[in-house]
Amino acid sequence: PHPVQNTATGADASHVLIAFTPAEADHLAIVKATRAEGKRKKKTYIPLPVSPADPATAAPNGARLYSISLPTPLKPTDTTTVEVFYVLTHSLEPFPAEITQSESQLVYYRDSAVLLSPYHVQEQGTYVKTPSSRVESFTRVDPTSRSGPDVKYGAYGNQLPYAYSPIILHYENNHAFAVVEELVRKVEISHWGNVQVTEHYKLKHGGAKHKGVFSRLEYQARQSISGASSFKNLLARLPPRVHSVYYRDEIGNISSSHLRSDSYKSELEIEPRYPLFGGWHCTFTIGYGMPLQDFLFESADGRRFANLTFGCPLLNTVVDNLTIKVVLPEGSKSPQAVVPFETEQHLETSYSYLDVVGRTTVVIKKKNVVGEHNVPFQVYYEFSPIFMLAEPLMLVTAVLLFFAACIVYLHTDLSIAKSQASS
Amino acid sequence: MLVLAPAACILSGIALSSAFDVLTRSMKFQLSKLFDDGPAISGNGSPNGSSASTVNTSSSKNEKTEKSEAAPKEKQSKKNRRKDKEVTESVSVKPKKEKRLSVLPLEASIVSTLLLIALGGFYVVHCVWAAAEAYSAPSIVLTSRSREGLHVFDDFREAYAWLSHNTDVDDKVASWWDYGYQTTAMANRTVIVDNNTWNNTHIATVGTAMSSPEKAAWEIFDSLDVKYVLVVFGGLVGYPSDDINKFLWMVRIGGGEFPHIKEPDYLRDGQYRVDAQATPTMLNCLMYKLCYYRFVETDGKGFDRVRGYEIGKKHFKLTHFEEVFTTHHWMVRIYKLKPQKNRIRGKLKKLKSSSKTSSTLAAGRKKNPWQ
Repeated sequence: PHPVQNTATGADASHVLIAFTPAEADHLAIVKATRAEGKRKKKTYIPLPVSPADPATAAPNGARLYSISLPTPLKPTDTTTVEVFYVLTHSLEPFPAEITQSESQLVYYRDSAVLLSPYHVQEQGTYVKTPSSRVESFTRVDPTSRSGPDVKYGAYGNQLPYAYSPIILHYENNHAFAVVEELVRKVEISHWGNVQVTEHYKLKHGGAKHKGVFSRLEYQARQSISGASSFKNLLARLPPRVHSVYYRDEIGNISSSHLRSDSYKSELEIEPRYPLFGGWHCTFTIGYGMPLQDFLFESADGRRFANLTFGCPLLNTVVDNLTIKVVLPEGSKSPQAVVPFETEQHLETSYSYLDVVGRTTVVIKKKNVVGEHNVPFQVYYEFSPIFMLAEPLMLVTAVLLFFAACIVYLHTDLSIAKSQASS
Repeated sequence: MLVLAPAACILSGIALSSAFDVLTRSMKFQLSKLFDDGPAISGNGSPNGSSASTVNTSSSKNEKTEKSEAAPKEKQSKKNRRKDKEVTESVSVKPKKEKRLSVLPLEASIVSTLLLIALGGFYVVHCVWAAAEAYSAPSIVLTSRSREGLHVFDDFREAYAWLSHNTDVDDKVASWWDYGYQTTAMANRTVIVDNNTWNNTHIATVGTAMSSPEKAAWEIFDSLDVKYVLVVFGGLVGYPSDDINKFLWMVRIGGGEFPHIKEPDYLRDGQYRVDAQATPTMLNCLMYKLCYYRFVETDGKGFDRVRGYEIGKKHFKLTHFEEVFTTHHWMVRIYKLKPQKNRIRGKLKKLKSSSKTSSTLAAGRKKNPWQ
């Protein structure tokens, strides 16, 4: 949280700038800012919009700036408190880079003891919380203290703008480094009452690479120390009322999965065919169907829209490349996707059963997707209900023509021989 | 026996169709007699009667087409044949009756028609069950029923999926030829020998390598540019078609091409054994070592569930191979060839390695074409 004070004499501050190093900015998945209103029990957090700052504002050494827009401009000598939350992906470097089955995974975390900021910082502290109490080493920038899993850098006073003091923490992190290298989600909307979702995953263990022997004996017998950083199952959160869930890969069905549903969510626990150690890959496909009435609505201006969830249903994973294809029914016009953050979008045409002109598909791509991106997004389109009859009419016409042909064939006489004997 | 299946299908189709024929004819006759008997309702009666009879004949036509469609799909099973024999017997009784009376009572024929339709329905259910239970077992996914339900052994696909994703595209996998096509199709890797079995010398080379001690086997595989060796081992779960049971063929085929592999070296009293009574050649060969590597540590005694006894050599290390993957139930074990050491220190190494092999093989090694 940043208590921010406007020290300028003349102007009102309408936004607050935050800075990131170039490395951090490349791996930045999401930045959110909130401001607390009210006191104690009545505290509410108002989200503030964050956007990349105008590139014209200069920042030394390639630092990137983001600006948080304040709802009310800050008058001179007024203070306000802003909380910034951001997620970085692929910023932990496993060291040693290769480990054997019985070793624990240690990673480097690089950051700065003082906040990189375009402003003067009067007072600050940095608190690092590691997942386990095993911290091999950490850079000391006085005053520094450590107790168990917490390392405290602080308090520093009166830092100049863009002050930076690099620190490295080397600690144990055995959490599952599940990285989805590529995820392609295809959502097919059918006005006959079903939304079918098919997801193709390329999963990888992104931590320290596994070297040497993999002993199944050690893995099964000594589970606490063997394969500490490996993982063998993943949890996917799906909407309630899903049906026909399947989990397979290129060579067939994978039977090790469990589905638990209740009235507001479904949880699918999947186990890949083998446990994933560092550097191991696997691919699989998850598919399921959902009732249409949970997802298709009519907007105020008469267009229909599908309210879907962005992101990856697997919990605690990072997606490097996410592609969502929303296949709209045949005859949909002017599709438009409204996503609360930056994405690449374009249109395609897919062909499916009984298609004549093809189905408009909205393709949305994003890199570096994390769990915080699992928010609803909408795809608007226009559809005149008469088009629903197109497919049944096609089938009815085809069968009708076939029956008519049968009738004609049965009632025509195509024989060559004369029926009457000539006199 | 399977020749009887199409004959039974056709006979049952004829039987059912003639049964329906008789029944519907009697119903039509009885109904028309019923309506003709009442003169007051004769005006409305005859169109009703004729429509009822046309409905009956059209339904009987539908049943006939349904039966003739269901009949060719019938699977061979003893229960089916017994049922069909009953149907044929009951139908053969009915025509005799028909010749005498030429028509059945109305209630009996209606009830019989409904029962035959119900029989057809149950038959479809039975066929689906028989196909699911008895005819849907792929040989690559094994199942066993336990108290907790169905236990699935998907080890083969687990191993092939691991190979396909976690090895390089050009890596070659050596295994016995039974798994060649499966490895090519599912693991997408080059194999040395596969189910085509057109090159007996090549199969004999792999058989020789599996029957040789570690160092000789390593040299054979290295000359074939093999990176991974795959063996199938059923001893932990009791899967009987594993490589130890197929080992006699590896010895025989290998021995047929390479005379330094002699079958009597592996036999004790005319039998292939892997317990304490096994020959030293058997206990030192690559197949034994790759299958039973660290197997004793699973239960402390090394009891092989397929062979039914404890293995002979329990504690040993691998010098030229390292284990890279074993599946969940230990059914498929994959090993990697260790790279050659940079320096072999003179006579000390040679003395050590030769003391591990048996004396018979050391004598026969002079004829070994691989050295």
